[in-house]
This record gives sequence, C-alpha cells and structure tokens, in this order.
Amino acid sequence: MKDIFFDLSVRSVRLNFLRSILASIGIVIGVVAISSMGMLGTNMQLSVKQQLSSNVNTIMITSDVVRTTSTAGTPVTSQGIDKSTLNDIRNAAGQNDVIPIHRTSTQFTIGSTDGRGSIIGLDPNDITKFLTIESGTNIKGGSDALVGPNIASNFNMNIGSRIKIGQNNVSITRPTVRVAGILAARGFTSDGVNTDNAIIVPDTWYTDHYGDKDLYGQVNVILKNIDTINQTEAAIDDKVNRKTDVIRVSDASSRLSSISSTLGTITTFILAIGSISLVVAAVSIFNVMMMSVNERVQEIGILLSIGTEKGEVRRMFLYEAFILGIIGAGVGGICSLVIGYSVVSAMIGNTAYFFLPESIIYVPYGMIIGVVVCVLSGLYPAWRASNMDPIEALRAE
Amino acid sequence: MSDVPLIRLADVTKVYHLESGDFMALDHVSLDIMENEFVAIMGPSGSGKSTMMNQLGILDVPTSGELFINGKNVAGMTNLERTHMRRDIIGYIFQKFYLIPLLSAYENVEYPLILKYKKRDVTGKAAAVLKSVGFDELMSSHRPNQLSGGQQQRVAIARALVNDPKILLCDEPTGNLDRKTGFQILDILTGLHKEGKTVILVTHDPKIAEYAHRIIQLEDGRVVES
Repeated sequence: MKDIFFDLSVRSVRLNFLRSILASIGIVIGVVAISSMGMLGTNMQLSVKQQLSSNVNTIMITSDVVRTTSTAGTPVTSQGIDKSTLNDIRNAAGQNDVIPIHRTSTQFTIGSTDGRGSIIGLDPNDITKFLTIESGTNIKGGSDALVGPNIASNFNMNIGSRIKIGQNNVSITRPTVRVAGILAARGFTSDGVNTDNAIIVPDTWYTDHYGDKDLYGQVNVILKNIDTINQTEAAIDDKVNRKTDVIRVSDASSRLSSISSTLGTITTFILAIGSISLVVAAVSIFNVMMMSVNERVQEIGILLSIGTEKGEVRRMFLYEAFILGIIGAGVGGICSLVIGYSVVSAMIGNTAYFFLPESIIYVPYGMIIGVVVCVLSGLYPAWRASNMDPIEALRAE
Repeated sequence: MSDVPLIRLADVTKVYHLESGDFMALDHVSLDIMENEFVAIMGPSGSGKSTMMNQLGILDVPTSGELFINGKNVAGMTNLERTHMRRDIIGYIFQKFYLIPLLSAYENVEYPLILKYKKRDVTGKAAAVLKSVGFDELMSSHRPNQLSGGQQQRVAIARALVNDPKILLCDEPTGNLDRKTGFQILDILTGLHKEGKTVILVTHDPKIAEYAHRIIQLEDGRVVES
C-alpha cells in the first residue's frame, strides 16, 4: 500500500479483529436487509405487472353512471351506451376493433344443479378477437354458448351440455343454450371482461331474452398499436363527450400504473424498515470507532506532535471506518444474493425476475449505502481524533 | 552561523486556567538560544520545564509575550504552519520514546519522511539514519514492543533526525534507560551536536546536564540561572 495511513488503519482493524468483525456484522445485516427488501419489492412489482399487462392494449368505455336525479327518492339509473354513441365510438376508433358487450348476471340450471354466474352477450365474430377457445368451437347457432373454465369444471359441463338460463321456477319454461366450447382461463383480467365464471351467448340471444337492444353496458376498443392509446382515447372522448360527459373512457394502463405506484409505496416502506437495521449498524460502527479513538489517544498525540496534519489523522480514522464498511458490504453483498433469492422464491414463488438489472441493482445499492453509512459514522470519531490537543493526548496512558 | 538566535523567548508567560484558579507555569521568561548550542534545561518538578518544552516544541503558544523559532513568530502562525514547523524544524526525543506501536522500527523512522514528501521513502535515507544511530538492521522490521528500551530510543532518535531538523528537543531522554544505555544515548546526542544540531535537553539529573554547554535553571516558572 502506498498510503501509510491506510496501512495504519488496516493494522488497527487487524489488531482489534474480533471487535471490527462484530461491528461489520451490523453492516452485513443492514446491507442484506436493504438489498433483499428492495429485491423483494421489485420482484413483486415485476410479477404483478406481468400478470396485469396482458390486456393493456384495451380501452374500456362505460356509460358515465354518476348521474343525479332532480327528484328526491328517484333511484339513480345507469344508462348504457346507445347505438349513436357506439357509432361515434366506431368512427373515433378508426381501424381498431370495437367490441360492444352486453352483460348481466343470472341463475341457471344444468342437469339438476342450480348455479349463478355472469352472462355476457357478444357478437360471435368478436369473440375470437380477444378470447381463446380451449376446446369445442365458437358459437355457430343462435342458442350456442361458450362457458368459462371455472364454471365448466364446477358444474361438470361438457361440449353439448345444455344449460337452462333463468330462475328455477316450475311454472315457466326457461330458454336453453348448448355449450359449444369452453374458454381458456384468463385469470385476473384488466379489460373488464371476466369470463372464467361466465356464460357467453350470442348478442342476438341476449337481446331476445334480456332486451337492451342497442344498449350496451361496456364497449371495448382493442388497439392494433399500443402507442396510439392516448390519441385514440382522446379522439373518442372528443367525439362522444362533446357537450356533456356521456361515457367514461379508461384503460388498464392507468390501473396498472396506480397498482404499480401502490406497490412502489410498499417497496419504499419495506426498504425503510430495512434501513432501520442500518441505523443500528451505524451506531455500532460509531461505537467501535470511538473505542478505537479512545484507545489510541496517546498514539494520536504522538502522530500530532511529530508533525502529522489534522487532515491526515482524520483520514486514518475514516479509512478505518471505510475498511469496516467494505468488509461489511462485501460479505453483505454475497449474503444478499443468497438470502434475497430465498426470500423472493419463498414469498413470490417466482424468481424469473431476480437477476434482471432492476432487481439485482439493489445489491450494489445496499453495498454502497452500507459503506457510506460506515464512513458517515466514522466522521465524528475522526474529527475528534484530529482535534485532540497533542500535549494532553501524549500524557494519556 | 548568524547572530540571530534560533529560538527567542521575549517576556513569555503561560497561564493555565485551572479550577483551583489560574496557574502561571511560565512567568515572563526571556531567553535566547543560538544555533548549534547544547543547552540543558533544569529544575525541580513543577518548575515549568514541561511547559517550556511544549513552547519550544511549538506544541503550545504563549499566553502573552513572543516566541520566535527559526525567525518566525509562533503566535502568528496557523495550526497547519505550526504542524509543518514541528515536522521540518524540530526533532523530538521523549523519555517514553513514543514510537508508533503499529509501525515497525523502520516504518517509525520512515514516517516523518512520508509526512514531508507525501510518499514512501525510496532514497534509503530512513535505513541510513537508523544505521547511523547504531540500530541493528536485523531488527528493523520489529514492532516497538519487541525492542528493548535502548533500541527504542535509538529508533526514536533516528525518527527525530530523519527530516534533518535544526533543533533536537530531548525530554529526559535517558529517564527510562539503565545507566550504561543512557550514556550511550547521550554520546549520540553529543555527536549530533558536533555535527551542527542545536540540542535542548530537559532533565533534573545534574550528571546528565553536565553534557550540555549551558544550563538554564528554572524555578517557579522563572529563569533563575542561565
């Protein structure tokens, strides 16, 4: 080593090896806490984002339901999207697919079992634009239906099963649909169409039995190019909400960003909890540095009296704190990888994102913070050492 | 050799503010020490010897009066300038040797060179000086706690000499040594004086003070005999 003050610090750390190692363990724990908490949060965000982002290319349009009535006691009515509004939307959406959706919930009976679920009315041509049929075929006839995978397995539905739609009442003959196909699972969707527990019927069948012809609960616009989402939304909004707010336009990306920002807040919070351990580590480093200064008062007196500059004495002790930090951060960095990986795989169950830069970056972050905390903890002890009166320091035993 | 004294104390007073009241450790002391003098400062304990040492060693500044060392007024210097004076003009030899415990004998001698030139010594000066004070080369990698008192004091003298100071300030340099070793150390100091160093020796032992050419007797913070 070129710098004798660095040498002196290394030797001092070596001389008090056990004490120095114990103090460094505090930094190890702090670095591990910060890195693995940060990685946990990031992996959580990444995997949730992945689950949510499958339908981000969809704009959801619903009727603006917040309408007050002038007469007290009159129920607030929710209007659907009517035909002229739909045409406006189609015009504004241009080349993109526009999918009007009817929806309500219903009771049904299959065999002798009664159940309840959503019933969704769609133009059969629209179905394959955003839904996947896992087995069977798309709706062909007027009373064909598709069912979601959950409802299918819960009620033992097969291709060709017949479902009676409506309340089970002996005095009424209920309409029947035939299961033509079973849909693939969609999980938690962000386009507002949850089909896993739904029965999909042709729109004509729906309006024949529920009315609401040319009045839709929701209209989805599926974009060909995700980058046009903002201008398409603006175009629809300009066209339809010209005078008053008729519809509400939303998309998964805004939901996605609000969920992401919530997850970001949670990450920050758990990072803050991790930082508490670094505060504890800082105290222990401070303590060890003060011990080192107090044990070496006479040595400091010698150094100062034979012409060592204050800055050089300060440097010597800051090196010492730095060395403790480097040891702690080095060991902490390695432990972070192991512990972080275990925590992520245990709590999220998915380590696919662990080695991505935005996740693994927390290891060097944690290490740098650990070293910085160490050096900061050494500032006061170093200052104190360099400002000793050499005469009094020499006299110390 | 010039007529300007190397060290000049003009009416120097040093007062310590203690809880029991002010204590005047040096009481209007005026004194000149010329270059290449061999001076002994004597006096009973509490007479102000240590205070005088601290003043001459620029470890402290006078409460009042003026102290010139190598033509410079100590009171007017910044802390850093005083530090550099200590490094370059003065060599300290202490009763308790005061070697740096974490450094080897050689490194202790090299240390002032590093302070001055901000880099490790490659000229071989440290080794040469260590040899000149009769230190066994084979011991140069030993730490101070592995050396005898006489060896430690030789290392300390080598450390004091390595930056070629004008003044050697020796505070009871033989106090922790046996008689024989003590006289060897004094012989070294005598030799250094002959080579042109100004040697200031603080002692309470008249036998040792005999080595000096001039004795300054202190009592209650005053010079009673010079």
